[in-house]
Amino acid sequence: MVGLATSFGSGAMTNSIGELEGAEVLLVTGSNTTETHPQIARNILKGVDRGAKLIVIDPRKTDLAREAHIHLALRPGTDIALINAMMRIILDEDLADDLFISMRTENFTSMRDYLHRLDLDEIAAVTGIDLHTIREAACIYARSCKSVICYCLGVTQHTCGTNNVQAVANLAMLTGNVEKEHGGVDPLRGQNNVQGACDMAALPAVLPGYQALTSPEVRERFRAAWSVAPPKTPGLSLTEMTHSGRDGAIRAMFIMGENPVLSDPHLKRVQDTLQHLDFLAVSDIFLTETARLAHVVFPAASFAEKGGTITNSERRVQLCHKAIAPIGNCRSDSRIIMELGKRLGCPGMDFESDAEIMEEISLLTPIYGGMHYDRLEGSWGLQWPCWNRDHPGTTFLHKYYFARGKGQFTITEHQEPKEHVDKKYPFTLVTGRGSYHHYHTATMTRQSRRLVREYPEALLEINQADCDKLGLREGELVELSSRRGKVRVKAHITDRVQPGTVFTSFHFWEVPINRLTIDALDPKSKCPEFKVCSVNLRKVKND
Amino acid sequence: MKENFIPERAVIRELIVENEQIHTIRLELLDKTRPFTFLPGQFLMLSAPHCGEAAISISSSPTALPLIDLSIRKAGELTTAIHKMQPGAQVGIRGPFGKAFPVENFSGRSLLFVAGGIGLAPLKGVIDFCLFQQELEEEAAQDMTLLYGSRTPSDIAFQEAIKKWQEQGIDCRLSVDIADEKWQGTVGLVTDLLDGCTVTEQTTALVCGPPIMIRFVIARLSAMGCTDEAIITTLERHMKCGMGICGHCHLDGKLVCIDGPVFSLAQLKTMDVMELG
Amino acid sequence: MIDLKELILAKDNLIPLLRKLKKEARLIAPVKNGYGDTFFTEISDLDTTVIDLDSQPQSSLKPFLLPQQETLAQYTIDKEEYTFTPPEKEQATIYFGVRSCDLTAVLYTDLIFSKPTRDSSYYARRNQSLIITLGCNNPFPNCFCEATESGPYLEYGYDLQLIDLGDCYFVSAGRRKGADILERWGYFFREVGEKDRKIRYQLFLESRGKFTRNVQVAHACRRLQQHPVPETIWEALSRRCYDCGGCAYVCPTCTCFSVDDMPLNKTQGLRLRSWDACTSSGFTRMAGGHNPVDRRQHALKRRFLHKLKDDLTLHGKVSCTGCGRCVDICFGGVDITTFIHLITAAEVP
Repeated sequence: MVGLATSFGSGAMTNSIGELEGAEVLLVTGSNTTETHPQIARNILKGVDRGAKLIVIDPRKTDLAREAHIHLALRPGTDIALINAMMRIILDEDLADDLFISMRTENFTSMRDYLHRLDLDEIAAVTGIDLHTIREAACIYARSCKSVICYCLGVTQHTCGTNNVQAVANLAMLTGNVEKEHGGVDPLRGQNNVQGACDMAALPAVLPGYQALTSPEVRERFRAAWSVAPPKTPGLSLTEMTHSGRDGAIRAMFIMGENPVLSDPHLKRVQDTLQHLDFLAVSDIFLTETARLAHVVFPAASFAEKGGTITNSERRVQLCHKAIAPIGNCRSDSRIIMELGKRLGCPGMDFESDAEIMEEISLLTPIYGGMHYDRLEGSWGLQWPCWNRDHPGTTFLHKYYFARGKGQFTITEHQEPKEHVDKKYPFTLVTGRGSYHHYHTATMTRQSRRLVREYPEALLEINQADCDKLGLREGELVELSSRRGKVRVKAHITDRVQPGTVFTSFHFWEVPINRLTIDALDPKSKCPEFKVCSVNLRKVKND
Repeated sequence: MKENFIPERAVIRELIVENEQIHTIRLELLDKTRPFTFLPGQFLMLSAPHCGEAAISISSSPTALPLIDLSIRKAGELTTAIHKMQPGAQVGIRGPFGKAFPVENFSGRSLLFVAGGIGLAPLKGVIDFCLFQQELEEEAAQDMTLLYGSRTPSDIAFQEAIKKWQEQGIDCRLSVDIADEKWQGTVGLVTDLLDGCTVTEQTTALVCGPPIMIRFVIARLSAMGCTDEAIITTLERHMKCGMGICGHCHLDGKLVCIDGPVFSLAQLKTMDVMELG
Repeated sequence: MIDLKELILAKDNLIPLLRKLKKEARLIAPVKNGYGDTFFTEISDLDTTVIDLDSQPQSSLKPFLLPQQETLAQYTIDKEEYTFTPPEKEQATIYFGVRSCDLTAVLYTDLIFSKPTRDSSYYARRNQSLIITLGCNNPFPNCFCEATESGPYLEYGYDLQLIDLGDCYFVSAGRRKGADILERWGYFFREVGEKDRKIRYQLFLESRGKFTRNVQVAHACRRLQQHPVPETIWEALSRRCYDCGGCAYVCPTCTCFSVDDMPLNKTQGLRLRSWDACTSSGFTRMAGGHNPVDRRQHALKRRFLHKLKDDLTLHGKVSCTGCGRCVDICFGGVDITTFIHLITAAEVP
């Protein structure tokens, strides 16, 4: 998000989901879209069926990669090198959009000079993709004026995640594929309301609507509304908090709807931190592994038991209706926060309805300025920015000018992942969503008999060639170890992964794969490097 | 109207631990006034508390009624729960369902039973039934041979029954894939046992076991001259209702629960079946 | 088929008639919700709820006659006693505004749930139902019921069929229960005139020309009877099937289900029936892990062959009713029309 915000001035999807269908070229990078965003995959596949060209950048041969005209199966963690090569080729082939660059962007000259210094053969070697294929992909992308880039956590969950995003933004600006319908840069958000959470400043350094914490004017507005001045300094990111350590600065935590004991990297440190807090409160709809560690657990209402809004990936704010009354003694998140706030002496924690909360949001958050409950009622919602009651909402961003004024080219250089494969740890482990059937740490999806039937246990995707070396057969147990820990998991032989790379998910508590992942963070976004760490594999002998 | 999914209550009268993997539970209906009968090869839907249902073939002969044997291999949630049960525990049963072995045609035939692992369960009912018939009438099936393959000697199930059958004149030949030091018998696949057998026009072969075994045994029997009508097998499929509605056991236009589970090779050849490869 | 009785109902009399019928039964009809989606909905108040007869309902009658999840029995485990109790009785229900495709699907479901064993829960509901259909003068964009011979108008199977003649409905009674309504509430109706028949005949002719999709069902069926489907077609389709089950859930003739027990506490639980889908791998996987169907290759084989080949052999009729709902739901673009196009376009080997 930080990456795109730096380049464009906003970190959200520039297009609407429906526009993908009309694109001529779809470049999907670091996204297993059919499994993680099926409704977005629908639009991508429709586009493909209508004749759009699909380019997929992914180390794994995902289902979408099988549909692609070109699958760039890069070595994990070499996204920047690949994108830079594509840009250089676009310059060489004279396919850059010079008018767009001169009118709408800045810092291009230094970008161009940098690209001209690149050695393409060297990049081909680094990424593991031959130059011819890179050239073909670059030309397809650049020749169309309706080219869309979709990216997901495969791009961001690296120590160079921010730079990866900026590289993607550079590519789009170079060809003028930003400010229009059917053309843009679209981060696919991972959770149903993660966009809304970011919009509402569940981030360490901004106030709602991405307003600067440092702006005196903004601070004053919030101070007047909240009767409390917002803190002057940015807070900490999630991983910084859960990794603060047993004697760390953080002594108490309130965790809502998150299961870091399974989902954060280097689990041993997370456990160490949480177990040694003076106080831990957790609110969730089921008793998660994290909630088990808590001193106090708040039973939260599920989506069906509460109202409010959800903001989806395309910045669309939609109203939710309560289908059933909360079961047992659970309460909606807003109720929990208000009750807690009241007891902590926080003023203004007396909202009588979800609509009243939205009224405050509209008043204090310019991009939500026209999002009134009566407008959201009975409609499919409004897309921000929506400045006032008369504003129809915004289907695609950066029309006529970028949110930050001019789009900024930022030189990004290839940077190796934090951890290299070596003799002791010769495999690269990639982690992510493993299946269509489970979500996150499966606290919800494993409550469904049908979903469990379809995907009952964790599997390690491994190539046949590696299995041969290890003497491993389908379904046999493997022990995976990294410098930080080990787990046992069943092997599933597949050509989805290349030799030397293995993949598994973090869905199953029985296989807490994040014991192995590295806690190296991107310096700007603080996003952990879930996508690359070095591991060793050993076949577990029977009994 | 009768509720289709409400089982009859049955109580476990006896428990026979065949081996670590297979338990036989000997059931009796709680409501003794309810008429209940079946034919060898038919199956029941077995309910265990909180575990739902599973299709289990009956491993005893109807001549043993009112007792009904179900031999259960530990494979999933329900079967694991059954393995923990003791005599006196209650289960539910629905059925019987499915087509039986054509025992009415076995008069005067030589029967060759070929089974692997738990696959002996449905054939056991046929063997016991035929032995009973032999005592009643001269015309009954003569000359029965059993070829039974197991993974290891400790995996051999129905040992008591086999001993009894041998005493009653059935030629029982056993093989194991992996022998231990005490094993004196054949080591190898059950198809190896076929080497010592002869097949005539009078032979009817009854085959049951894992799909891969069925495939090889059928191929071998055909090569030995068995006709498609004289090779009979019983298939295992995922089932939920037992009465031809739920769709799980759909097999190329047929439903295993009502059109099977017993099929002749002649019937199977008209279908697209994994057991034939 | 000769109808038992035919009468004309002025449009103004429709709601008054439904009001009478509703006194003795639950009324289910298509209603548009706040988001513009039309579903069959129970109508509690005819004065405040508008029945939407202009849109294709997104759901069929399946959720009512074969609910997504239903309780087949309750069970208790008390000490050693393991006992089951049957579910509650069903209530009389009138389904109004049902389209021809969906009624055809109900007739097919009747068959599936009666042979060889009658399914008691299904028939408990079915026997309590009265279905009033509406002929489709204007087929919807995804419809192809003409090709599956299940519309746009019906010749049998309905209790009552309404055909919109403009200012009135041509009402035919196809079953005794429907004829009873015409007799009992005769004063709402007038006799059929020659002009009414002419208009109806004209509508029959016109509506057939309004289908926008050309789905060659009969051609595909002939091909399936004569030639095996090339493996490349199965593979191409399976690659695009992501096992969401959407097609099976919206399909009015997909009746495959699972039965599972759900514990409520230590001593009580429910035996539940819920929709299942033959496209999922767990549908055929056996305890112990073996699966007779390879999803990567044959995820959709059973679904399409069952509808277009097996049922044709068994019942003389395909079990796709041309409602087109799967066309919109499938996110991989491999609905039954895709299959029909592929199979009719494929070269005969």
